[in-house]
Amino acid sequence: MKKIAHLVLGVITSIGGFVEVGSISTASQAGAEFGFRLLWTIPAAAFVLAMLVEMSGRLSALSGRPYAAAVRDRFGAHYHLTLMAAELVLDFLLLAAELGGAAVAMQLVTGIDARWWLVPVGAIAWTILWLGSFSFIEDGLGLLGLVTLVFVVAAWRLHPTPSALANGLIPSLHGGDLARYTFLTVSIVGATVSPYLLNFYGSGAVEEKWTEEDLWSNRITAFVGMGFGAVVSMGTLVVAAMTLAPRQIQSDSYEQAALMFLPAFGRYAVPLFAAALGVGCLGAAVEISLDAGYVMAQGLGWPWGANKPRLETARFSGAFTLMLGASLLFAITGVDPLRLTLIAVGLTVMLMPIAVLPMLVLMNDERFVKGHRSGPVGNAILAAVTILGALLALIVVPLEILGG
Amino acid sequence: MDLVRDLLDKAVVDRNGREMGRVDGLLLDVTDDRPPRVTAIEIGPAVLAHRLHPALGRLAALVEELLGVAQERPVRIPLSEIKEVSSEITADVAIGATGAGNVEQLVRRLMRGWRWR
Repeated sequence: MKKIAHLVLGVITSIGGFVEVGSISTASQAGAEFGFRLLWTIPAAAFVLAMLVEMSGRLSALSGRPYAAAVRDRFGAHYHLTLMAAELVLDFLLLAAELGGAAVAMQLVTGIDARWWLVPVGAIAWTILWLGSFSFIEDGLGLLGLVTLVFVVAAWRLHPTPSALANGLIPSLHGGDLARYTFLTVSIVGATVSPYLLNFYGSGAVEEKWTEEDLWSNRITAFVGMGFGAVVSMGTLVVAAMTLAPRQIQSDSYEQAALMFLPAFGRYAVPLFAAALGVGCLGAAVEISLDAGYVMAQGLGWPWGANKPRLETARFSGAFTLMLGASLLFAITGVDPLRLTLIAVGLTVMLMPIAVLPMLVLMNDERFVKGHRSGPVGNAILAAVTILGALLALIVVPLEILGG
Repeated sequence: MDLVRDLLDKAVVDRNGREMGRVDGLLLDVTDDRPPRVTAIEIGPAVLAHRLHPALGRLAALVEELLGVAQERPVRIPLSEIKEVSSEITADVAIGATGAGNVEQLVRRLMRGWRWR
């Protein structure tokens, strides 16, 4: 019974933790500019994410080592340091975007300029990190994140026709700006398949001492949690498609994105949008900060763990504090969070091949996953994702210029 | 034993299970009349940085010196004191008797000082 309750909580927190600055901005822009035509990208990207997350959890449960530690063990220092450096740059940019997103949410509610909210938002994130255990951080923020279900409620209230939704689930290239269409497709993939989620999830499995017995709940949490999370993200796109696209409003700022709730929620539109944006971004900011600590500590052999007293894991705690502080300073310089998000998701796509390739090897190495190696289907999909990721990485810079 | 597969880059814990770092380098005894022999494992950012480039290794050592954490570093653990080699390496030493915890202790002291203020 306790295990089922734990599983349900895991699935719910996965849903609540799915939506953040990247998914909100890319899905709302896609809906505003292309209607339902990019809807298919979200379940496709979420399926890839669920696969990778399940593998990360399986690796941790069977080897007792999270992904970053396993990469250092199996691939050595050079590969690990390259991946770590790339991930830290990405975490830095994404974290600044999340802090910016949460500050904009506060601006939407209070009318006070977002820049004034950056330090309070950073302070709240750091307090949660410093005082919270892993389950408090994951479960607490995940449950709070359920407020993002307003995107699904909004979509429901707008009554999209089933045929329009079904058409959106079939990729189509006809009409419109192809460069922009491809750019947004790649951006949605980058916003969904974030490397920090892989390591955060696997680290959580080690923190919660998962074993072989937890493999079934790992699979369900990964696929059901991410599946429902994708529904929330799809809700964002549907709402933007039904409210912004017909009026030809481009979602190029969060203030404009907030308008998409008007038809569904009237005068509650802005506070509800702000709540979803703020909670989603704050949760992601905490997770990304923690991920920076995990990646460094696990790969370099420091003591780590959000469940341990902070003084016992001084370098780990110092690392996430420094990352949060550095990103906060960057955000304070006035960088546009929406623009930064798109740069970060572009970089995510560039990083994807080197981040995903080790997973393919590790999931076939019995020293790490014992008798639970990936089957031919899992291997084929992961190999295809790696190759596709490499191709996307090649086109992402031209796309940022042409379609961004 | 495959040195690169089984030793290099693996996590090292002391006899009480406390994290000491990772095997950042291996110390080889190279003599003319017999094959090279591993004599110790090395732990420390200067060793790791040296693997990337010797200049980076010197820079890391200088930073350690400036921070006052260079005593007993890089950490060298003779192979005779390696108790177990599995997914991690267990050394039959206490971390406090080596320099492996110097930086952790420095950061801890900084945090304590900050908390007092």
